[in-house]
Amino acid sequence: MESPQNIKKRLRSVNNINKITKAMELVAATKMRKSQEIALASRPYAFAALDFLATVSTLNQELPELFNKREVKKVLFVLVSSDKGLAGAFNSSVFKKFEKHEKEYPASAKGFNIEKEEKFFVAVGEKANNYLVKKGLKVVKKFVQAGDYTTPEQVKPIADFVVEGYLEEKWDRVIIISTHFRSTLKQEPHVRRVLPIDFDHVKETVREIIPERGKFADSIKECQITFVPDKSKIRDYLIEPSGKEVLEKLAKHLFFMQVYHLILEANASEHSARRMAMKTASDNASDLGSALNLQYNKSRQSKITTEISEISAGAEALS
Amino acid sequence: MMLSIYSIKTILFQGKASLLNCKTIMGEITVLDNHEALITALDAGIIKVIDENKKEQFFPIKSGFLEVKPDSEVRCIVEQ
Repeated sequence: MESPQNIKKRLRSVNNINKITKAMELVAATKMRKSQEIALASRPYAFAALDFLATVSTLNQELPELFNKREVKKVLFVLVSSDKGLAGAFNSSVFKKFEKHEKEYPASAKGFNIEKEEKFFVAVGEKANNYLVKKGLKVVKKFVQAGDYTTPEQVKPIADFVVEGYLEEKWDRVIIISTHFRSTLKQEPHVRRVLPIDFDHVKETVREIIPERGKFADSIKECQITFVPDKSKIRDYLIEPSGKEVLEKLAKHLFFMQVYHLILEANASEHSARRMAMKTASDNASDLGSALNLQYNKSRQSKITTEISEISAGAEALS
Repeated sequence: MMLSIYSIKTILFQGKASLLNCKTIMGEITVLDNHEALITALDAGIIKVIDENKKEQFFPIKSGFLEVKPDSEVRCIVEQ
């Protein structure tokens, strides 16, 4: 049997790990809650922006470039992951989804020249960059430190970069692969086409801001925005300077908002994935700790028994 | 008029107001009660609001949009 000293040493380190993972779990839980709150705080803005888009687009039939579908020759993929590890399957599930999409997409799009499509990649988060570089793919740009809770200032460069590239026809379609926060226990990687902008896609993103279950799930469930607005309701709006210009600006705002939300959601998912991973880790550590404790007591006990039997044997030999 | 000003992070103003003054890309405008229905884009500047208690409030913005609905309802979405 192992010596009690050795077991004691191992026991101590297991207990330390337990403490560390426990602390990380608590931190991740708080951060998760906070990022959910931030996501919810921007809901009124998101709804108002959508409503705006609905009104303006009925008044003005000419859609700006960001809405127009054009022949797809170049595709941009944006992979949203975390900067740090220790978040369970959070990052790998995004990458797996991406690989699956790669495999399945050509089959679903018959009649298109998929082979001709050129692919570009943007990495959000250190882990996505590492993954893409390892696979030997073309990373156009990487954005790191999207933070624990992203801020509009941090998202702006990402959104601007993507929109500018699109307008300069560097790519004709933009796909974002990120994690959708369904509830604290469940996160799913989603593949979303963000450019060209599609009304339904934007609407879906806004709807998804509320998690399905949990503290914020029942906050707000109203807000029906349709993109088939009542013609009678629309009176003569004065649009300054012109419908087209307003729509163009609005499209950029909406796109920015969508990216902001996707990243915010990825943040919330990261924290909750990390929380779950740390919870499992600390559970395991405490299991291991109690097993080691038992082993330690047993080995101590057996040592004492041996000593006693030696003493009594010695005493017997003397008498 | 009912005025609401939303930014991506928070709700800046919500409630009754008597005056809204802001800079649009066409020039400066002031919105009072019963304003004509209007949609316009805002430029960088400061939004001035006078609320029911005649108190002035200021919000600096980078860009945004203003919508005046026919029934004296005004809505702004802004980027700070």
